[in-house]
Amino acid sequence: MAQKNNTLDVATRERTGTRYARRLRESGRMPAVVYGQGGDPTHVSADAIEIVNTLKSGGHVLDVRIDGGKTETCLVKELQFGHLGDNLVHVDLARVNLDQVVTVNVPVTLTGSPKAAQADGAMLAVIRSEIEIRCKVRDIPSEIKADISELEEALTIGELNIPDGVEALLDSEKHICHIAFQAAEEEAEGEATEADGEGAEPEVITEAKPEAEGDEG
Amino acid sequence: MPRMPKRVKFRKQMRGKLQEKASRANYVAFGDYGLQALEPHWVSARQIEAGRIAAQHFLRREGKVTIRIFPDKPISKKPLETRMGKGKAEVDYWAARVRAGTILYEISGVSEDMARAALARIARKMPIRCRFVGKRLSV
Repeated sequence: MAQKNNTLDVATRERTGTRYARRLRESGRMPAVVYGQGGDPTHVSADAIEIVNTLKSGGHVLDVRIDGGKTETCLVKELQFGHLGDNLVHVDLARVNLDQVVTVNVPVTLTGSPKAAQADGAMLAVIRSEIEIRCKVRDIPSEIKADISELEEALTIGELNIPDGVEALLDSEKHICHIAFQAAEEEAEGEATEADGEGAEPEVITEAKPEAEGDEG
Repeated sequence: MPRMPKRVKFRKQMRGKLQEKASRANYVAFGDYGLQALEPHWVSARQIEAGRIAAQHFLRREGKVTIRIFPDKPISKKPLETRMGKGKAEVDYWAARVRAGTILYEISGVSEDMARAALARIARKMPIRCRFVGKRLSV
């Protein structure tokens, strides 16, 4: 809430395309693009470690300083990953106004451990680790905290301490987390033998059924 | 009991070509930690089941294990000492097509140390190299 944005220094990219982007990544920089608000899209690059650390610190809004000159307020719009799913390869930065209303996902941080989850067979099931919110850019919280040490059954979106000016888009009855009990069947399944499954075959839906034809004739 | 589809359109399939890299199902979506394949391979239903049992025995009644792959490909195999020809052989087992990067299992509701230990036990049952991963960055 009204916090100071992280500043990211970027440099304009002279050349674009797969080959040049790959060379850029090999040299320790991350390709990115700045676009929006009627301005021309600008292809930029930032220090890879710096940009990852900035994103990990939870800031959605960045003050992007292009070539050490003009600073633009940008929202991290999209992240692109490589095939291993966690290696960041590209970042989209959208120019925004601080009074513009946007929709973003914000992480929900749960603190404390509920006593109900320590009962035999019980566990804390976290359904959503982040929620979608709509608010002004200046009001985007870095996280929403919830204390669950007194949790008995479930924590819903309606029970979260959502700051003023921020609206959760999901139904207020949806669960963030709840206490789940593992069924007795599931335990037995762990010991299941293979004897009953060896001869089983799936039903073939395109196969002709000669027995049925014989009955009719 | 190893998993397999309930209904299929055709009894047997051609071998197909396994694509190298995963472009989806390559991030932790349902749990807190996951086991990621680093090589493409067919993973049989028995191997998937062995991994699940290994994890559940280790975790006892804590946490939740989610299996992200399903063996929907029938693999046929000719019996030993059989001459070639005479049509395609009978289905021997069912397998999941796994590309490099696919998340195989996910675990939630336990500490990171417990999840690491459980996923290491699953990795021992897998026919491929795997690695431990957490949730990725999101905006």
